[in-house]
Amino acid sequence: MMKDYLMLATRSIFKRRLRSWLTMIGIFIGIAAVVALVSLGQGLEHAITGQFASFGTDKLIIQAAGSGFGPPGSTVVEKLTSDDADVVRKVAGIEIVAERLIRTGAIKFNDEQRYSFIASITQDESRHLVLEALDEMMDVDVMAGRMLTKEDNYKIVVGSGYFEDKLYTRNLKLGDSLRIGTKDFEIVGFLVKSASIFGNDFVLMNDKPMREVLDIEDEVDLIAARVESLNKMNATSERVERALRKHRDVELGKEDFTVQTPEQALESLNKILNYVTWFLVFIAMISLLVGAIGIMNTMYTAVLERTKEIGIMKSVGAKNSSIMLLFLIESGILGLVGGLIGVALGVLLSKSVEVIAALVLGTQLIQAHFTLTWILGPLLFAVFVGSASGVFPAMQAAKLRPVDALRK
Amino acid sequence: MIKDFFKLGWSNITKRKLRSWLTMIGIFIGIAAVVSLVSLGQGLNKYIDDEFAKLGKDKIYIQPKGGFGPGAEGTPVFSERDLKEVNKAVGVIDSAGMSMKTVKIEFNDIIRYFYAAGIPTDDTRRFIDELFLNYDIEKGRNIKAGDKYKVVLGHYYLDRMLFEKNVKLGDKVLINDVEFRVIGFYEIIGNPGDDQNIYIPQETLNELYGIDDEFSVLIAKTTPGIDPKRSAESIEKTLRKSRDVEEGSEDFYVQTTDEIMDSFNNILLIVQIVLIGIAAISLLVGGIGIMNTMYTAVLERTKEIGIMKAIGARNSSIMILFLIESGILGLVGGIIGVGIGMGISKSVELIATSALQSKLLQAYFPWYLIVGSLLFSFIVGSLSGVFPARQAAKQKPVDALRYE
Repeated sequence: MMKDYLMLATRSIFKRRLRSWLTMIGIFIGIAAVVALVSLGQGLEHAITGQFASFGTDKLIIQAAGSGFGPPGSTVVEKLTSDDADVVRKVAGIEIVAERLIRTGAIKFNDEQRYSFIASITQDESRHLVLEALDEMMDVDVMAGRMLTKEDNYKIVVGSGYFEDKLYTRNLKLGDSLRIGTKDFEIVGFLVKSASIFGNDFVLMNDKPMREVLDIEDEVDLIAARVESLNKMNATSERVERALRKHRDVELGKEDFTVQTPEQALESLNKILNYVTWFLVFIAMISLLVGAIGIMNTMYTAVLERTKEIGIMKSVGAKNSSIMLLFLIESGILGLVGGLIGVALGVLLSKSVEVIAALVLGTQLIQAHFTLTWILGPLLFAVFVGSASGVFPAMQAAKLRPVDALRK
Repeated sequence: MIKDFFKLGWSNITKRKLRSWLTMIGIFIGIAAVVSLVSLGQGLNKYIDDEFAKLGKDKIYIQPKGGFGPGAEGTPVFSERDLKEVNKAVGVIDSAGMSMKTVKIEFNDIIRYFYAAGIPTDDTRRFIDELFLNYDIEKGRNIKAGDKYKVVLGHYYLDRMLFEKNVKLGDKVLINDVEFRVIGFYEIIGNPGDDQNIYIPQETLNELYGIDDEFSVLIAKTTPGIDPKRSAESIEKTLRKSRDVEEGSEDFYVQTTDEIMDSFNNILLIVQIVLIGIAAISLLVGGIGIMNTMYTAVLERTKEIGIMKAIGARNSSIMILFLIESGILGLVGGIIGVGIGMGISKSVELIATSALQSKLLQAYFPWYLIVGSLLFSFIVGSLSGVFPARQAAKQKPVDALRYE
């Protein structure tokens, strides 16, 4: 029985090939736009999550409150100090604590000056923790030269930008010197090119020389603390907060610092990204609405053209519900096929954007990310939109009186 | 003759009322989306232009490069000497500096962090006043010479419950743990950045941070008649000298009002193009809807076309007839769409101004937007009709008449 319905519906669609195609184009343009936008939005989210997951899932990040845009510590009022780090170190459940510095600073090559991020690498037992955090953030593999050792003093490792992007009048090579603060630093290594949102003009140096040349005493921009046990992450985070409150003498709710678990750090960023994606998808959905109206139009026309046919079917005993079902299936198929083509086009579109972005802009931030939900979802939605648009025309068809229909 | 074409087209459209409506809905949804997005974008553009025009096109802004904006640590600052140098540059008749810092502000046992600006109380004050002239103090008074731990707040402190309750005149607030008395509130400016600002005397800000006079931004005014661009170049030159930096590696940048305006508008333009591009997809779909309707019309009227041809209608006449019909579908859809689009953006403006007290979202309808949308919808309609109309025109009378 159902098979007959499907066959009848398919046959009517094929009979008016041009019109069916045009109707489906309306749906698949809309679906393709939605699929492409969502997959690119999720790809971006994925890329950012990948980099921020950075500090690894087992590390707490402690920053002074009031950190606005820019590197940690740049806009704060009450700075964190080594004392605070010592307090964190003593909290039960904390394994290792790293006192990190991340600043922007003037970096001079001969007489040319640029501004860039400078990050410290600690020289105590927390060194591997910092390297690990940096690596998850931006690939700290060295492509030429070597990584800094604990004993290096006025040596730096710099991003690939210095090597190949002509940041100064000429590209730099190993052994060149950059002036930072009061001293010249010799480049001992270049990092591999990374797709990180932090760019490729990072400068890494050891903690002691950084404090010396930038005149930083016991300030700390960011405290990274590895917890002993992942399961006790939240409890440990609370203990750290309590200890710091006591040490800095502030009341609950009036903290001048924040303790974030990795998930919390990500949350706010993803929220903004989500808003943007949904807004764009909403606008793209407008075209789906227009496509749906197109299906409705096509179905009304079909009902009109087949009035006589409907009359005959009814007079040989077809029930109202059968007629209705027949037209609903027909509009549903229009939606489904439109959806299928749309999803395929959308996937193709976002993949091409990814490839073009990688080729032209050299960024891997723009990548298409597909989830089953966002492949099946739009497809089901297209079927739903198709059938829903068919409801009124189908009702009109079902309600025709056989006599009137035959006389037409 | 052409009148007859229009009459015929119109009567055909009204004959199939439901279908024509559905077809036009497709167009007007798209046009409405585009019109509302463009008008709001243009409104934002206009707001920015107006604000800068109020500040005056004769101003030049000198800001630090690198770091993360005025007030952030690691960002270069300007000294009293830099300010003097700026004053000496070609065409500069007045100049002043302002400091900005992120401060901790506590009230009602709640701590928040906002921007504080240092207001000079010396002779550059007159110039700063001129810059802020458009904005009055709504309650209380402004900072004057001799004030120490007094603070003037943006309008949000008065009515946005920033500290779970509102701040009143005479209240005490803690700024970086030092007690300040609230002596005034600015009137509403219309954007969160300015309405959350804190204003305290320059010397008090310096004292809080233990710094001598240093400025986050310098502002200069040029003599009437001189091109601000020329002054800007001169300022760049003198500052390069006084700050001892080479050309190309400046740690500051100098912008005229026009240049700042352009950079804002460029960003806005890109955002608008993306949004409109996505919204225009629905117009494409609507156009395909018209094409579909016209193909159906050609099919239904095959016999009619045959008769017209048999009594001497030329191919071109048949073609024009169908083109006009699809053009009318597009145009009427466009008219309704422009109407709805204007309605949408006006409502957005109303909601934004009444609920959010924001002046950022304003609907602005330049004539070219309205005329352009109508023209565009007519073109979309006609273009969608081209293929169906050609099919209609090319039919052979004999076949057409025989069609059942």
